[in-house]
Amino acid sequence: MVVDSPETQKRLAKFRKAPMDGQALKRLVEAGLTWLRTNQQTVNALNVFPVPDGDTGTNMVLTMQSAYNEISELGHRSVDEMAAAISQGALMGARGNSGVILSQLWRGFSRGLQGQEVLDGPGLVKAFAQARDTAYKGVVRPVEGTILTVAKDIAAETEAGLKPEHDAIDILEMAVKAAGESVERTPELLPVLKQAGVVDSGGMGLHVILEGMLRHVYGQPLDTPVASVQPLSALDFESAMQEVEEGQDFEVVVDFYPEDELDLQSFYGKLEEMGTSIQLGEGEGMYRMHIHVPLENRYVPIDYIMGIGTITKVAMENLVAQMDEIDEKAKGDYFELANVEPGQIAVVTVSPGPGLSRIFASLGVAAIVEGGQTMNPSTQDILAAFENLPTDKVIILPNNKNIVMAANQAKDVTVKNVQVVPSRNIPQGLSALLALDPDGDVEAVAEKMNKSLDLVKAGEITVATRSVEIDGVSCEQGQVIALLDGKLVSSAKTVEKACLNLLEKAGAEELELITLFYGEDLTATEANRISDKVREAYPGQEIEVQDGGQPHYQFIISVE
Amino acid sequence: MGEETTSIGGIHISPNAVATIAYHATLESYGVVGLAPKNLAEGLAHTITREPTRGVSVNYDGDNVDIEINIVVEYGTRIASVANSVANTVRYHVEKALGLRVNSINVHVAGLRVSDTD
Repeated sequence: MVVDSPETQKRLAKFRKAPMDGQALKRLVEAGLTWLRTNQQTVNALNVFPVPDGDTGTNMVLTMQSAYNEISELGHRSVDEMAAAISQGALMGARGNSGVILSQLWRGFSRGLQGQEVLDGPGLVKAFAQARDTAYKGVVRPVEGTILTVAKDIAAETEAGLKPEHDAIDILEMAVKAAGESVERTPELLPVLKQAGVVDSGGMGLHVILEGMLRHVYGQPLDTPVASVQPLSALDFESAMQEVEEGQDFEVVVDFYPEDELDLQSFYGKLEEMGTSIQLGEGEGMYRMHIHVPLENRYVPIDYIMGIGTITKVAMENLVAQMDEIDEKAKGDYFELANVEPGQIAVVTVSPGPGLSRIFASLGVAAIVEGGQTMNPSTQDILAAFENLPTDKVIILPNNKNIVMAANQAKDVTVKNVQVVPSRNIPQGLSALLALDPDGDVEAVAEKMNKSLDLVKAGEITVATRSVEIDGVSCEQGQVIALLDGKLVSSAKTVEKACLNLLEKAGAEELELITLFYGEDLTATEANRISDKVREAYPGQEIEVQDGGQPHYQFIISVE
Repeated sequence: MGEETTSIGGIHISPNAVATIAYHATLESYGVVGLAPKNLAEGLAHTITREPTRGVSVNYDGDNVDIEINIVVEYGTRIASVANSVANTVRYHVEKALGLRVNSINVHVAGLRVSDTD
C-alpha cells in the first residue's frame, strides 16, 4: 500500500495520537467488513471444493456483518468490552466453515484483550496470539494452508516483530504484511490449492479484513476493489446490478486489446472519475471492462478506451429499464395454485424453480414444495404442504429420485390417503399431471399417472462439478454434460452442443414434442438462440421453450 | 456395497472403507474435537480393535449410502454451522473418492468439549 502522500501521513499522525478505544475498534471492524464485502466475489472465486457451503467470501461477510450488527449501536466502551460484543455477534452469525473459524478467531482475540481499556501494540500482539490458540483448539487435525495457518503466521510475525515503541497501528501493518505473505504460501502447503492454481479463500478473507482496517487508518477508499484484473470467467455483472445507484443509469461493457501494457492504477483512476461498479477481466490478451455511468456520460468510457487500445465490442444497457424488467419478472413469480374441494384429489409436487412452479400450478397442482437436486426437501416439508389441504386424498409427485423416499415417509406418517407416484424427474412429473382427474378415484388416478411416467424421456443439461468417466462417457470438470433419464450420455463444450447430442441419444427424430425448460443460469435470449438451433435440427418435431427457473440445470428437456 | 463388475473381475467396497473416509473427513472439519462411540458396545469394541471408524456408521440400501456420525464439538462454536460443515465435507470426500451417491448424512452432536470458559 502506498502511504507516503502528505494527507495519509497527516491522518496517520492523528490516529496515533488518539487512544484506540472501543469506538476506534468498532470503526476498524466496520472497515474490515466493508472491504471484505467489496472483495467478496474475488474471495468466492477462490473456492476449490464444489460444496454447497463453498462461498467462503459470502460466509465470511455474513459472519462479520453479524459481528458488526452486535456493536453498531454501542456507544463508548472499553476495547475489551467492544471485542467481547464482536465475538458474541460473530458467534451468533457464524456461517459455513470459514465463518465458524472466523468467529473462533474473534473469540480468542477478545480473550486476549481482557482487562484492556485501549488497544496498544503489546495488547494487539497478545490478542492475535490468543486468536490463534483458540482457533487451533477447535479442530483435532488442523489442515495447514488454510485460514488457520494465516492466523498462526500473523501471530508469529507480530510476536517476533514487537518492539517497545510499537503502537497498535505498527502491529496492524505488520499483521497485514504477514497475512499477505502467508496467503501467498498457502498453495505450497495444501496441494489442492496448487492444483487449482489458487490461494486459500478463507486465508484471503482474513487478509482482506485486516487490510480493510489498515486502509481505514490510511484513509484509502473501501468501496472500490483494488485495481485488479480477474479472469474473464470470474466477472459477475449480475451482482453489480444489485448496486445500481441513482444517476448511474447505463451499464457499459467494452471488450478491447490495449495498445501498450495496461497501467491498472491510472486506468482505474480514470474510470472512477466516470462511474461506479467497475470491473475488469482479462483472457488471452483481451480485456473486458464493466462500468455503470450516468446517461450523459455513456460514451465517455468508450472514447477513453478507444484512445488506449483497439475496441472489439461494445455493449450498453439501460439499467433503469432492466431493473423494471426484473421487478416485472418478480411479479410474474406469483401463481395461483389449484383450489381443492373436500373429497377431491390434491396433487403435491416438488419444484426446483419459479418458472416450473408456475407451469405445475397451471396444470392443477394444489401444493408446491420447493426443492430439487441439491436441496432435497424433508419429510416434514412435504407433510406440511398437504396436511392443511381440505381433502384427504393426496398424490405426491417427488420429481427426483432422491426425494421419493421422503415422500414415502410422509405417506407413512399421515392419516390421509396418500399415493406416491415416484416421478424421478420434472418431465415425468409433468407427464403424470396430464393424467390428473381431481374428481376421480385416487388409486385409479395414481395408477394412470404411474403408467404415464415412462411415456416421456427426460434430459438434463448441467455443468460437471468434477471430472469423471461413467458408462463410457468421460467429462472434464467445467464441461457441459447431458444426462438422459439420469444417465450420463454426452459431454460437450457448449450447452447448445450438449442439447443436440442429448436429443440424438433420446431418439428425438422418432418422437413428436420437445419441450425445453431453461434454468436460472440462462437468459431468455440465449435459450431462444439454442432452441432455434434445435428447431433447425428437428424440423419435423414441435419445439416448446419454457422459463423453468431451476438452479444448476441450464436445461431440463422433455421428449415425448 | 459398491459392487461393480469389470471384464477382469469384481470390485467390492465395504461399508468400513466408506466409514474410514468419513471418519478422516470429519476429523479435519473445523469445530469437531472428536468422535463419540454410538453406544457402550461400540465403544468397547473399538477399544479392542482400534479400527479408525469410531463414531461412524454406514448403511447401504442397494443404491445409496447413508452415513451416521456422532461428533464432539468444541464448546463456544456455533454448533449448527459445525454440523453442517461436517455433513458437507463428508459428502464431498465420500462422493469424490468412491463415486457413490451419498443419500443422507446424519450428524449427531454427542457432546461438547470445554477447553476454556469465558
